[in-house]
Amino acid sequence: MSLIEDLIFFDNPSIWNDFGGTSSGFGGIVWQMFIWSVIVGVLVIAWLVYNLIYFRRKDGDPDHKDALKAGVFPHERGNTVIELTWTIAPLILVTWLTIISLAPLNYLWDVPEENETDLTVEVLAVQWQWIFEMPSNYTIPSEFTKCGGVDQDGNAMQNMAVTYNCLEIPHNSIIRFNINSEDVLHAFYIVEIGIKQDVVPNLQTLAWLDTSTVNPGEYNIYCAEMCGRSHSQMLAKLYITEAA
Amino acid sequence: MNLRKLSIGFLLAILVAISAFPTGNGLPTGITDQNTTDTVIANGCTCHNTNTEATSSVIVNLTLPENFTSGETYTLILNISGGPNDLADGGNRGGFFVTASDGELSPTVNDTLVQKPFGFTHLTHTVDGNDYREWTFEWTAPESDDISVQFVAYGNSVNGADGSQGDYWNKQAITLYGVNAVIEIKTQNELSGPQKIIYAFAIIAVTLTVVVIGNRMVTKDQAFEDVLKGYWKSIYPWLTTTDHKYVGIMYICTGFGWFFIGGILGLLIRWQLMEPRIDGEFLTYEEYNSTFTMHGTTMIFMAAMPIIFGFANYLIPLQIGARDLAFPRLNALSYWLLPTGGIVIYMGYFTGGAGDVGWTGYTPYSSGDTATTPGTDFWVAGQIMLGASSTLTAINFLVTMLRMRAPGVTMMRLPLFSWSILITVFLLLLSIPVFTVALILLMADRTFGTLYFNVEAGADPILWQHLFWYFGHPEVYIVILPAFGVLSEIITTFSRRPIFGYTSMVYAMATIGIISFIVYGHHMFTTGADPLFRFIVMLTTMLVAVPTGIKIFNWLATMTGGSIVLKTPMVFALGTVITFTIGGITGIVLASIPIDIALHDGYFVVAHFHYVLVGGTIFAFMGGVYYWYPKMTGKMMNEKLGLLHFALSFIFFNAAFYPMHNVGLSGMPRRYATYDASLADMNEFISIAAMIFGISQLIFVYNVLYSYKNGEEAGDDPWDGWSLEWTTSSPPPHNSFTEIPTLKIAEEEKQ
Repeated sequence: MSLIEDLIFFDNPSIWNDFGGTSSGFGGIVWQMFIWSVIVGVLVIAWLVYNLIYFRRKDGDPDHKDALKAGVFPHERGNTVIELTWTIAPLILVTWLTIISLAPLNYLWDVPEENETDLTVEVLAVQWQWIFEMPSNYTIPSEFTKCGGVDQDGNAMQNMAVTYNCLEIPHNSIIRFNINSEDVLHAFYIVEIGIKQDVVPNLQTLAWLDTSTVNPGEYNIYCAEMCGRSHSQMLAKLYITEAA
Repeated sequence: MNLRKLSIGFLLAILVAISAFPTGNGLPTGITDQNTTDTVIANGCTCHNTNTEATSSVIVNLTLPENFTSGETYTLILNISGGPNDLADGGNRGGFFVTASDGELSPTVNDTLVQKPFGFTHLTHTVDGNDYREWTFEWTAPESDDISVQFVAYGNSVNGADGSQGDYWNKQAITLYGVNAVIEIKTQNELSGPQKIIYAFAIIAVTLTVVVIGNRMVTKDQAFEDVLKGYWKSIYPWLTTTDHKYVGIMYICTGFGWFFIGGILGLLIRWQLMEPRIDGEFLTYEEYNSTFTMHGTTMIFMAAMPIIFGFANYLIPLQIGARDLAFPRLNALSYWLLPTGGIVIYMGYFTGGAGDVGWTGYTPYSSGDTATTPGTDFWVAGQIMLGASSTLTAINFLVTMLRMRAPGVTMMRLPLFSWSILITVFLLLLSIPVFTVALILLMADRTFGTLYFNVEAGADPILWQHLFWYFGHPEVYIVILPAFGVLSEIITTFSRRPIFGYTSMVYAMATIGIISFIVYGHHMFTTGADPLFRFIVMLTTMLVAVPTGIKIFNWLATMTGGSIVLKTPMVFALGTVITFTIGGITGIVLASIPIDIALHDGYFVVAHFHYVLVGGTIFAFMGGVYYWYPKMTGKMMNEKLGLLHFALSFIFFNAAFYPMHNVGLSGMPRRYATYDASLADMNEFISIAAMIFGISQLIFVYNVLYSYKNGEEAGDDPWDGWSLEWTTSSPPPHNSFTEIPTLKIAEEEKQ
């Protein structure tokens, strides 16, 4: 039954939980989108089914007065009040959805300046790998070993300043990503968190993450913009680790 | 005389095609080298792309036992030697990648040089591991030892310098047999998956041709030449016609023909995604990229648009009471540019790999040299031809509809299908030329060395996206508005009452047309464009829901109080209303920037646009085929087959595409040739449903052919429709109307 469960439940990207505080949970944008989608969908389908039940033609039914005739432009049919209703109601609805979409944007697009962050990571995308570079003034905590490999005795080694396809960042910190591309378009996508930012050659793009809003652990980084043969292998791991 | 002008047109088309791809040198670079399995061109060492071909001077040596016993674990050693940069020592010297078709590969305990990437079955080196040229790892044999296991090892000889320059690689494929395996000799020349399909279709086609011609020769006792002459006689009128009805039917047939080819490509995609596959297990990653590129391009430009143009060709003159389009010969030229351009696009398959840039063809990837050559050049050249075709057709429809309406057919008395085409035509004229220009710039970049899209030379890296989506979004409405027109016609006729709110339907379509030019930025929410720009397009995108909603509600209101006849066209139309509503709603969800950031370029988007394009356009036009087939052929289509076709299509369409929403929410990006193993169940389900959806379309083909021979006589107006096409005979006479009709008006009729 896991397939049916998969169809009904889904893990939403965790950043949806942080949309401006008030937007999370009931009443939040994701919830509202979902509930309005269901309402509109059910309305249309229910009306359709109602029509099919009550207005089916039966044998011997007489034609309506305004029934169609070949070569004759039919009677105008309509009702201004009703038509205005279903023009204005959706207008109000989509305006509302636009307005509630704005609050999370203030949060998402308000990328902190480099001096306001705990850590600024330089992200470089090349066909087909991710290169992460820590700033020179940043001291890598000694317990950060996820991207460091193992020495001859089998002990994990500390991360280097530059890591390939692997990034380890501290929990409870504000992290800023300066994202650059060496060749073509890529997209920096932290899957479980739901952050996505195109990587554009010749143009630095920015993303940021408050790691206090997510659990420490392992996350996936994908490339989400078609970049050539091994696009689907341009993967990296993100580790969020509790620093001592 | 006409023929001469026509042939000049052909020659011009061919000249344009030839001049469009000077780099199309046709070298078979890629895919297979049938003689040496060890040096087949594979895509193993993908991060070292300087040398796309394996190099025989690199010797890859995977040491395997003689045979294997079930369940036992073996230690395997892989080493590489040779290579142009055979350094004696120093770091960063080599890399490897190894796969086994069965059993389980794993690094030895505490080994720091070998890793097994999470969720995959292959092994590769770690960052530390690339300082070596020999690696040791373990392989646990599968449960049964009466089978053989295929090992493929890739070795990369690295020169230690930064970047991939000067690195060379090779691969080795070995079969290891279990102790109880019955050894059979395999043929040396393995075909790749798509090759097998192409060969299979070629064999079927040749066999059918031989059978049909042979049958004709035997039963009619004709010589081979006579049979061919007989065929020529029946084909010749089609090749030379300028009659809108013939051209229209050719457009429709060509469109559905490409639709089936594109559908097969779609099924190849689904077969690849049936389970997380490694490179080359079914399609190589490069072939996969070509496959989805050609799938998208085919479906939009060579299937959806021609089907629409075909119906418009056939119906516009009939609905407005004209004898033909304004420029019949131009119409024929537009048509013939379509199969020609399509063939040019597909040329890539015969030159080592079709275009692999996605249907969006984003630069700088498409303008750079990592895209397939000359496949991508063919893709660009063919697209330019299709662009020319659409532009010419648009002019033709526009002039026809403005100048050639019969008495009584005023603008506000046009049938809604005609109205939808009229608005579509404006969208075409305003958007397609922009795309054509962008394509010409791209072609110049690729073939003449210009730098329009060269980022290093200072080009705007997202210029292409602006040009493309300025066209690309109206394009979406170009394919959906005519579908709205078809739905309006069918729902009115089968509810046996006039459409509810004719005027508001027209204004709704016009509004959609106007808004469509200022929403395109919603494809670029994650590019880092100006926030104000992104906010404006979010607002306008949301606004599209209003006119679209009006249309849906008007259709439902038309049915309310009507007397609904549920025939196949109506069933398709109502199915479309449901699937299109779902697609429209997810469109609103995606319009919200904060939500789109997570979903952009993922499977949620794939689900959304298949719901509007297949569930909207294709379903509507399949309904259109059932609806107007009697007019085109004089025969009714079979109802039972039609309903069966609808039921299977509707159920398996939803089964295939609905779960894609979930897969997308779980974070599967589109255009991925493989994916996280946790999504395997869902993808398998989707793939199976998609296969059944694909196969059930054969019922449709059968029905069209069967009904042509065996259908009931239709009569002039089998469905009791009102517009002028139902006043002429089925099929219409040579000049469409024996006498130009006059559209009467119901209000005046009564008095």
